[in-house]
Amino acid sequence: MSQIPVLILILPLLFVPIIILMRMFKVSYLIIVVSSVLNFLLITILTINVFTNGVVFYELGGWPPPIGIRLNADMLSCLFLMLIGFMNLVCIISCKEIVEKTVSSSKVYLFYIAWLLCNTGFTGIILTDDIFNMFVFLEISSLSSYYLISQGNQKKSTFAALQYLFIGSIGAIFVLFAIGLLYMITGTLNMQDLTKQLAVVEEKQIILFAIVFLLAGVGIKSALFPLHGWLIKTYAYSPSIVTTYFSGTSTKIGIYIFFRVFLDILNNIGPLTLFSLSDILIALSSIGVVLITYYAIKQTDVKKMLAYSSVGQLSYIFIAMILYIPDGITASLVHVINHSIIKTSLFLTLTLLFISKKEVLLTDLAGLSSKQPIVTSCFLIMSLALVGLPLTAGFISKWYLILSLIQSKYWMFTSIVVLTSFMTLFYVWKMIDQVYFKENSNGEMFELKKHQFIPIAFLTLLIIYLGIETSLTVGVSQSIAYDIIYGVI
Amino acid sequence: MTLYLTHLIFLTLSLVILYILRHKSNISRYHNFISLFSFVISLSIFLKRDLLLGTKVQLIEVFDKVSITFYLDEIGIIFLLVSNFLWFLTSLYASRYLVLNDYNNQNIFYIFFLFAMLATNGIIYSENLFTIFIFYEILTLSTYPLVTLKKNEDSLKSGKKYLFILLGTSVIFLLPAIIVTYSVTGSISFSEPIPFSGVSEIILIITMLLFIFGTAKSAVMPFHKWLPSAMVAPTPVSALLHAVAVVKSGVYILTKIFLLIYGAGVSSMTSMQVFVVVICFTIVASSVIALRQDSIKLRLAYSTIGQLSYILLGIIILAPLSILAALLHFIFHAFGKIVLFLSAGIFATNFKVKNVSEMDGLATIAPLTCFSMTVGALIMIGLPPTIGFISKWYLLLGLSSSEEYLAISVIIISTLLNAGYYLPMIYKVYFNDGTNANSKIREDIFLVTPVFLVTLIGIMMFFLSTPIVSFVQQIGYMQ
Repeated sequence: MSQIPVLILILPLLFVPIIILMRMFKVSYLIIVVSSVLNFLLITILTINVFTNGVVFYELGGWPPPIGIRLNADMLSCLFLMLIGFMNLVCIISCKEIVEKTVSSSKVYLFYIAWLLCNTGFTGIILTDDIFNMFVFLEISSLSSYYLISQGNQKKSTFAALQYLFIGSIGAIFVLFAIGLLYMITGTLNMQDLTKQLAVVEEKQIILFAIVFLLAGVGIKSALFPLHGWLIKTYAYSPSIVTTYFSGTSTKIGIYIFFRVFLDILNNIGPLTLFSLSDILIALSSIGVVLITYYAIKQTDVKKMLAYSSVGQLSYIFIAMILYIPDGITASLVHVINHSIIKTSLFLTLTLLFISKKEVLLTDLAGLSSKQPIVTSCFLIMSLALVGLPLTAGFISKWYLILSLIQSKYWMFTSIVVLTSFMTLFYVWKMIDQVYFKENSNGEMFELKKHQFIPIAFLTLLIIYLGIETSLTVGVSQSIAYDIIYGVI
Repeated sequence: MTLYLTHLIFLTLSLVILYILRHKSNISRYHNFISLFSFVISLSIFLKRDLLLGTKVQLIEVFDKVSITFYLDEIGIIFLLVSNFLWFLTSLYASRYLVLNDYNNQNIFYIFFLFAMLATNGIIYSENLFTIFIFYEILTLSTYPLVTLKKNEDSLKSGKKYLFILLGTSVIFLLPAIIVTYSVTGSISFSEPIPFSGVSEIILIITMLLFIFGTAKSAVMPFHKWLPSAMVAPTPVSALLHAVAVVKSGVYILTKIFLLIYGAGVSSMTSMQVFVVVICFTIVASSVIALRQDSIKLRLAYSTIGQLSYILLGIIILAPLSILAALLHFIFHAFGKIVLFLSAGIFATNFKVKNVSEMDGLATIAPLTCFSMTVGALIMIGLPPTIGFISKWYLLLGLSSSEEYLAISVIIISTLLNAGYYLPMIYKVYFNDGTNANSKIREDIFLVTPVFLVTLIGIMMFFLSTPIVSFVQQIGYMQ
């Protein structure tokens, strides 16, 4: 049982050479499906184990920390692991036709390899107990994601990949700086050891430097407000299925690093109270939400619109997190899950409907309801979930977000959040308007095959389920939140 | 299983059945049957109320202390009977109306009409603010396709306004108000409310203000614009939903919030006068606007806005007599306004008369409709021998007992204004000789019958008002 954390990391890496050797795209698809299913199964077993028996450690090579490298699965990591594993599985299962259409057949196996490595990087970031290893895995996932983005088969996607490469590298260097600084003053890289050492360190100034570097670096990775530029282009110009996959995973990894570093490793120092950092960040994010929502309303490209929407929602997650009260952290974690599911399902529906289109304009959606009534109903539910109407998952996270803001007595930010969440309706409405009330689309609308409809329907049901029965999201997030605030983690 | 849960399940199943049968041509018959059965269930709930009152059914606990729960109380019974009875009669009317007006998407109409009534009944049975909020939003969403039924430019524009005002206010004001209530008191339940304590008066007043503007379905100005724009919908929708079910849901929610969550303890606050002023302004302003409307439906819509504020005024004063008046007006306004709207529908369908200025001499060709309209108008003005008089009487009594002189004068002014825009309509149909008088067309008997039935019941209620008044008086909230 204690082997599972390392299996989650090793298995995909074992599958990679097999794909390289086989090179046939049907076989490579089969392998990646097997790998994803196995990955998800292992994660599920690990999660059940962690939730019943507590934290699971795995010491690589039997070397105990702080000398050896250790893998660590606690509740926080399991929550994110489940999310990443699930999103990966959903995208992989529904991606076969899309990949065949968008990626030239000689490169399909490379595409799948990059995907596997990217996913392994994500899981590695979550599982590792070593802050330098976290950086390494971050780079693995970033490098492979540059490749994935550039496969969009248009010039713009190459540019998007290049831009992400530059900005992402800057972010990585910032993170590296911060790790270096922390290593300098503590002499350790193991997270738990770091936590202990940092509590007694005298040089608060250096810690502050490290915090600022981390904030900038991880802020770039998770596309926080002023650092979000790359995300829009990436989402708009990478292959649709990659966008779908990233919308549920990549930025959430950034949020995970925030959680791990700020609320776990640096928790004792209270990094957010230094120089009233939290107030500045909340104010910045609130301004960001307003601007971003405004940009989202102005877009005519659906993918860009949803990309802006993602940045806005990430700001909600971030605001809720730095409130640093139990309900705020609950809201943040719940919204990580709910928003991933909602956004992924929206992108997935668009991807499946417009398999061979590179850009989806709002007008391309026109008349969808008459051609695909059932898919359109699903799309409607997803959109309403994005707005946060009751009986959908979005409502639950909105409830907790507003609740936590009210509890912290941030009245102004409460009203900003409430207003912007209503403004969501404006851009969602632009889609609904096209879908239901505009006729005659000149864009080609693909007849969905039965098996492609299954993931859409499943995700829609999931959105409704998570809007009614919340013990899986709220319950788990709440216990994590209490652990963080009252210090058990 | 309690009877009211059966009711909701029945309506849900009917919705599914109606959806399956959507391509059948006689879908209206199913709808009639469903509404009749729904009324029968509500009647039996009324008769068995001693067993059912106060029973709770928790469907699912969404999260800590927030659940989807149903229960039944006396105010709910009133709304239940009124809405389901009028639904049945309106559905009889609608099945004829839609045929005469050549609507080609009747299946959409019936499905969403049923959906809206399901949501209304859901609101009636809601035990807490969370459940009520869910059904409130469902009601908005389910009436949207009815407003845009014609699918032309005009109705889509109105529909957008309708949706954005109703959704917007509920999301921006109502939801935060509910969350503040939850955060401060720790309970959002109607059956076990926890009073606001240790909260500054400012927060209390702001929360109340959020509630009042958040339930924009009760059409307090400045968030009333959706109601006139909803008038592009077919008449049965305007009549049942935008004079009874939807608008009364807003008032019903506010009634419950003020009577149950805030309780009578709040009335002592002088700052409550803010609401009295806001509501009085709505009453006067809506009447003045109504005076200037030539379209019959728009005039009725603005009249509705004013009349809803009567009810709210009675609730907000929180004096026993004014609450009695408000609940009575809740019933009586429903009967009066639905008659007016349905009559207007007959005028428009049979005689193509849509404006007040074209109404001359209608009484000779449509005597029953004109009679019904007259009764409805008298109810709105509050003249005896109609039920409108009873509620206005108690309202004035309640207001004078709590010395609300501003409100009293507003009621008197608004009564005059009401007379100012209803009496010309009556005068025109009976005493003006117009081109209409020579028309060969007669009122359609299938349309008139349900309207006339409601009118008769409305008249009967005046003479048999004692049991109604005593039933409403029983409601335990009058100390």
